[in-house]
Amino acid sequence: MSAGIDVPELRVHDVTVRFAGLTALDGVSFTVAPGSIHALVGPNGAGKSTTFNVLSGVYRVASGSVRFGDAELTALAPHRIAALGIARTFQNIVLTRGTVADNLMLGRHTLTRAGFLTSALRLPHVRGEQRAHRERVREIADFTGLGARFDTPVSLLSYGERKRVELARALCMEPKLLLLDEPVAGLNTAERAAMARTVASVRDALGLSVLIVEHDMGLVMRMSDEVTVLDFGRRISGGTPQQVQRDPAVIAAYLGGATDAPVGEETR
Amino acid sequence: MSEPPARRRLGPALLAVGWLVLLLPPFYLSAFWLQTGLFAMAAVIAAIGLNLLVGTAGQLSLGHAFFLAVGAYGYTWLAGSPAADEGLSGLRLPPAVAFVAAVLLTGVAGALFSPVSGRLRAMYLGVATLALVFVGQHILLNATSVTGGFNGRSVPPLTVFGFVFGDTDDGLTVFDVPFGGLERLWYLGLLLVAVASLLARNLLRGRPGRALGALRDSETAAAVMGVHPARYRAAAFTVSSMYAGAAGALLALVFQRIVPDYFSLGLSMSFLAMVVIGGLGSVGGAAAGAVFVTVLPQLLGHFADRIPLVVAPGSTGTGLDASDAADFLYGAALVLTLVFAPDGLAGLLRRLRLPRPRLRAATPQTSAVGEPAVGDTLKEQTL
Repeated sequence: MSAGIDVPELRVHDVTVRFAGLTALDGVSFTVAPGSIHALVGPNGAGKSTTFNVLSGVYRVASGSVRFGDAELTALAPHRIAALGIARTFQNIVLTRGTVADNLMLGRHTLTRAGFLTSALRLPHVRGEQRAHRERVREIADFTGLGARFDTPVSLLSYGERKRVELARALCMEPKLLLLDEPVAGLNTAERAAMARTVASVRDALGLSVLIVEHDMGLVMRMSDEVTVLDFGRRISGGTPQQVQRDPAVIAAYLGGATDAPVGEETR
Repeated sequence: MSEPPARRRLGPALLAVGWLVLLLPPFYLSAFWLQTGLFAMAAVIAAIGLNLLVGTAGQLSLGHAFFLAVGAYGYTWLAGSPAADEGLSGLRLPPAVAFVAAVLLTGVAGALFSPVSGRLRAMYLGVATLALVFVGQHILLNATSVTGGFNGRSVPPLTVFGFVFGDTDDGLTVFDVPFGGLERLWYLGLLLVAVASLLARNLLRGRPGRALGALRDSETAAAVMGVHPARYRAAAFTVSSMYAGAAGALLALVFQRIVPDYFSLGLSMSFLAMVVIGGLGSVGGAAAGAVFVTVLPQLLGHFADRIPLVVAPGSTGTGLDASDAADFLYGAALVLTLVFAPDGLAGLLRRLRLPRPRLRAATPQTSAVGEPAVGDTLKEQTL
């Protein structure tokens, strides 16, 4: 994998999202520095998934702006945002029928050109494109530990492997910003550690930014450079893991009152 | 699907033998069977196209009868000669050009429906396309200078470089078998089926096929991967209507005279039955379903006197009319398929071929990957 891609900053500024009277996000602002792992945490219903859906263009904002470099994401449809190099995974795994390879090749959609006519005729340049991208996709499969499963139908994979297919498919988009929605939810301890290692090595190898939503506080605190805490749609805290762990507002949000116990000892 | 190498070699071999066998019927079978076979071939082409839309893109169309009509009448009008006494118009294009133009014309008709086919999903598109069938019937009955109205219009035979795919008295015989229109059309039909299935297979295995499959399984996920949902839905609909156009033009050549009555809602329904019985998402399945649904009524009609309870069409005996009996049978086949083999004939075959342990895991899942597997990961992460 080659490093040195030009990764812009992601600036979320004063974003508000309402669903028929319910304010899901209320003036949320944070910035994901280029090449950093940034965690978005908060209790259930805090607005983490809503934030993801805004960033990937699935939800529209009532007000506020999201800038990725020069692009204003709030004005773009999901497929245009994908083309900018923003990839995401889903909390509840969403894969397509077919093999691991089929799913990963879908990740190359924005990077390939073959249309209906040229694909139907299997013109030489379509075959060449397919071959080149399949090679790269195989590399990514190996990198994420799916090499042996490359031609296996995803319906035959274990839950942990499917989670990894989601990650690999996002990586196949050669993203500049990777949005991971609960990448270790439902995984056992060994799988969690492995997934964390993969994410860290992906960042190190590719130099991309990672925005991660996760409930496993131990993992979040260990791997992220910066943490933003949401509660009831508002940003209540932010900073390095150490700063956030000591913030009384965070402790109150998680434990429902003022205590001295630091956040981060959660085990699941 | 990873198969043992022996099987992988067996597949193409069987396919090749199958195609070779399909070259033989004109030498042995009567006109009745050749015509039945040609109906089946036209249905196979349309079903492959419909399957792209229904099986792969997850969209529904009840309007395919309309697109078959566009193909059939398009060819007839483009190749036909004006006949002042009957009030018919025609462009008198070379028939081979007219055939291709008819397919393109159907594509245009399908593309014009994009604002609807791009926006509406599954059932809703199905209901919207219903309108096409009724509008189509109205046009076919009233645009008499193009369609000939209620009584229809005769179809000019196809000629390619002077070779006539129709009944002529040029006395062509091959191995002592006189080659009339049906014999010649048989090979044209085979060629069209081969081209249609090859193109569909390439499409499904390529970038568009993956994008459409993703769209079917989750629109959000597909869009986030960079797939433009409306554009791809509209494109699938357009391609699918072009297949219907080719099928319609072939049908017109076999019928030699086309009437509006044939292109009814019932026809759309039987195409849907074909792709469901055959197995959604599989080219071979669509073909098998098409053959089953077209050949069954013909078979029952032909052997009516030997099958209990079934009587030949128009006969006075007590019993079921052959075509009604076929309706009952394929209705039953449809229900049985949906209950016992939701992935159709293709899925049935696939399950029979799969080694035992996979049997359970390979059962179809509508939304691809649903429940988490019970087992642990097979392999530790190694990086």
